[in-house]
Amino acid sequence: MRAISMGAHDRPEATAKAKGGLAWLERWLPKMVLAPTFVMMLVFIYGYIIWTAVLSMTNSRFLPSYDFVGLLQFEKLFENDRWLVACTNLGIFGGLFILVCLVLGVTLAILLDQKIRQEGAIRTVYLYPMALSFIVTGTAWKWMLNPGLGLEKVVRDLGFESFSFDWIVDPNMAIYTLVIAAVWQSSGFVMAMFLAGLRGIDNSIIQAAQIDGATLPKIYRRIILPSLRPVFFSAFIILSHIAIKSFDLVAAMTGGGPGYSTDLPATFMYAHSFTRSQIGLGAASAMLMLGGVLAILIPYLYSELRGSRNG
Amino acid sequence: MVNQTAQSSMNWSRINRGLIYAVLLTAALFYLLPLVVMVLTSFKTMDDIRSGNLISWPTEFVFDAWSKAWSTACTGVRCEGVEGYFWNSVQIVVPAVLISTFLGALNGYVFTKWKFRGSELLFGLLLFGCFIPFQVVLLPMAQTLGLLGLANTTAGLVFVHIVYGMAFTTLFFRNFYINIPGELVKAAQLDGAGFFTIFWRILLPISGPIIVVTIIWQTTQIWNDFLFGVVYGSGDTQPITVALNNLVNTSTGVKEYNVHMAAAIIAGLPTLLVYVLAGKYFVRGLTAGSVKG
Amino acid sequence: MAALEIQNVRKTYGGKTEVLKGINISIEKGEFLILVGPSGCGKSTLMNSIAGLEEITDGAILIGGEDVSGRSPKDRDIAMVFQSYALYPSMNVRDNISFGLEMRKVPKDERTAEVERVAKMLQIEHLLDRKPSQLSGGQRQRVAMGRALARKPKIYLFDEPLSNLDAKLRVEMRTEIKKLHQNLGTTIVYVTHDQIEAMTLADRIAVMKDGIVQQFGTPQEIYDEPANIFVAGFMGSPAMNFIPVQIQNEGGGLVAKVTTRDGRTYSLPLGERGACLTNYVGKQVTLGLRPERVTQVNPHEVERADVMVLEAEIDMVEPTGPDTVMHIHLNGTEVSCRVAPDSAGKLGEKMNLMLDLSKAVFFDIESQARIG
Repeated sequence: MRAISMGAHDRPEATAKAKGGLAWLERWLPKMVLAPTFVMMLVFIYGYIIWTAVLSMTNSRFLPSYDFVGLLQFEKLFENDRWLVACTNLGIFGGLFILVCLVLGVTLAILLDQKIRQEGAIRTVYLYPMALSFIVTGTAWKWMLNPGLGLEKVVRDLGFESFSFDWIVDPNMAIYTLVIAAVWQSSGFVMAMFLAGLRGIDNSIIQAAQIDGATLPKIYRRIILPSLRPVFFSAFIILSHIAIKSFDLVAAMTGGGPGYSTDLPATFMYAHSFTRSQIGLGAASAMLMLGGVLAILIPYLYSELRGSRNG
Repeated sequence: MVNQTAQSSMNWSRINRGLIYAVLLTAALFYLLPLVVMVLTSFKTMDDIRSGNLISWPTEFVFDAWSKAWSTACTGVRCEGVEGYFWNSVQIVVPAVLISTFLGALNGYVFTKWKFRGSELLFGLLLFGCFIPFQVVLLPMAQTLGLLGLANTTAGLVFVHIVYGMAFTTLFFRNFYINIPGELVKAAQLDGAGFFTIFWRILLPISGPIIVVTIIWQTTQIWNDFLFGVVYGSGDTQPITVALNNLVNTSTGVKEYNVHMAAAIIAGLPTLLVYVLAGKYFVRGLTAGSVKG
Repeated sequence: MAALEIQNVRKTYGGKTEVLKGINISIEKGEFLILVGPSGCGKSTLMNSIAGLEEITDGAILIGGEDVSGRSPKDRDIAMVFQSYALYPSMNVRDNISFGLEMRKVPKDERTAEVERVAKMLQIEHLLDRKPSQLSGGQRQRVAMGRALARKPKIYLFDEPLSNLDAKLRVEMRTEIKKLHQNLGTTIVYVTHDQIEAMTLADRIAVMKDGIVQQFGTPQEIYDEPANIFVAGFMGSPAMNFIPVQIQNEGGGLVAKVTTRDGRTYSLPLGERGACLTNYVGKQVTLGLRPERVTQVNPHEVERADVMVLEAEIDMVEPTGPDTVMHIHLNGTEVSCRVAPDSAGKLGEKMNLMLDLSKAVFFDIESQARIG
């Protein structure tokens, strides 16, 4: 509460009683500067969401039409086997991707926080995949996982002649190759977030715990990890956001295949909206994606805002 | 006795540290492997690729794959390499980054130093723009670009990247400026400086770090974009990510993995360079606003 | 004509929280006004309102007789020194000082001359080419003052300018500000929460609490004749003792009854100070007595009519150097006494102390206002 009222004190304002053009300008200039952004935001974010919502309730096919059919497209969606596969895939892919990234990220961050020599260089190595496009990542991993010439052959050349690693062409396993590539790309970033969180912890707390006789593993379990809770949440939000939006990785690595066994909602939406002339269905799937993001985001933002108000 | 325990705990800690380094280095190998494989493959001939394996050394280093990827490889129907698309991406990235960064700076300035009734709400609404799945705006934007005659143009892509990059740039600058004391602005006001003078003379000169962070962030975001590129670009105006995907996934006949890898490295090189040269800022950009909330 | 006149100024945030509740203050040219009070009392809001950095909800602010309430900060002819100094980080000291002149379109050679003059006055000539980040706290403080002085405004505003300095530097700068004021005869409004700063610097003090000026007067008036218990307690360190006492008429004069912890009751003769208490005979009032008025027995003073000696047990001893503060109990209240170090007793001992009532003040228990 106090922080908020202080903020109000801080604001420099033009005076209310000012008259004449110049004072008027002074008072309105900030709002005028913000106006283009405001308009763009209103139209291109909120307006478009409404527009998409409207499209999702029409029977638009190749071109948008405005014949309203109620929630028919949503009903169709849930009868559509490909959509259901995409959603299941998102569950598998998202769940594993987030879990592995978090575990790997926090582990590497803790290990890297032990006064490691060449820490900077190691950090750079962990993080560089984040600088790459998912298309580049997908291309590289597609090659690495190539059955015949990829990792399979490396292992066979080591003497394990019967070794087989063909997940990328196996409809049941291909979704897991996406997890591998996505983890490779994003886990370094999660590590960086946790490392930043670890570095932000007040050293005197740890010293106090040491004086109290706590061992290092205990300090981590009881004091350090709990204090990283906000980082866990932030990372979770960012990772789930990446998972739901995942489109380019699938496009580059599997193209949704074999068949549509690695389709995700994002590729489903693209395929139906832009190549299969099912704009109504595409819009409906986009709305459901938005719904998915909101379902995760709103509780998070709510707790964040409540937290900052208390603090 | 005491000495012995000290000794054994010393040994333990040495073993522990050995383990830590082993885990860290294994992880480093995992992250490095794809890059090593890409580079090695790109310098091999196709015969070399078939006879060796991913991590075998090239029998001789040849640049054929690189020159082919750059200027003659087929991306879909056209066979002119990725060169043209590379420059398309440059033409999209430069104006989109500069404009969105500048607008973000101005917005952040207003949101922190010239708050007005409702400005916090406005910022919250804008922040939401960082989180929406872009699929939900794809169809209307396609319609709009068509109406404006911007469909399949570089200008159209620049416009889209500015619109949807602004939420992030504003967030960056706002989080930076919020830590600049408000008294600085008050002092300048008393000195007689106006809205823009304060921005140009007082705030921008100290914004160096956040400008770099924002430019790096936006450059990697826009350079690496695929979704907008594939939806709103076509043929001549496609960015390099789309061209790479076409090269790898739509080429018919023999798959030339060495060319694919060379093209992939070309597509990744600019952002990789940015990262190596300014990695410190890159990390700061990535974690800005996410750790602090 | 008043240099600064604040007429019935009110300030409300969001139509609900009233931060300033009708402030009236007027000072003459060359006067040093200090706004003092605990944090949240509205003193900074009032200062920002004078500067024009915040708009007022009601009332008027006059500078040199002109109503400036509607004007923007730059048109009020004021300069301000901020708590954080607010030096422009990207500019060197020279540019910091001349920025305000540049904004007012003063020609370059005049600006240079003015920077030289101010730098010489504040002895910061050797710092002119440095950036603020290369300066120590005290140097930044000087530059911030230089920036204000360069413009020669009608009024200088100081917003807790010394609170970021360490104790020693604070005392030095305090003296320097006082000298500057005496030499230049400038009109200054100065916000602080430090009552010592207020006492030492001010010509006039406005003690504020809850958006109301509790008392407006010279430092001595405020020290000797505080308007209410709040002002009495806020100004002076250690704080004034507040002892609940019963007023009685004894032997033709009014006395206040005090009882030590061991149960001995004394009648404190009020003398002339009691004149205002005739309506309170038989009633409880709060007796306000500064610690220096409860001290060791000085033989040449004990004969005075308004002095009383009593014996009390010492509960605590705090040496401060020049004198020692001891605590005793009277009427169940802790009372601090300021005694010469040599005369101070030990913890738990009993000691004779002299209560000097010549400066005693009395407060109504209900209204907390001073009686008389």
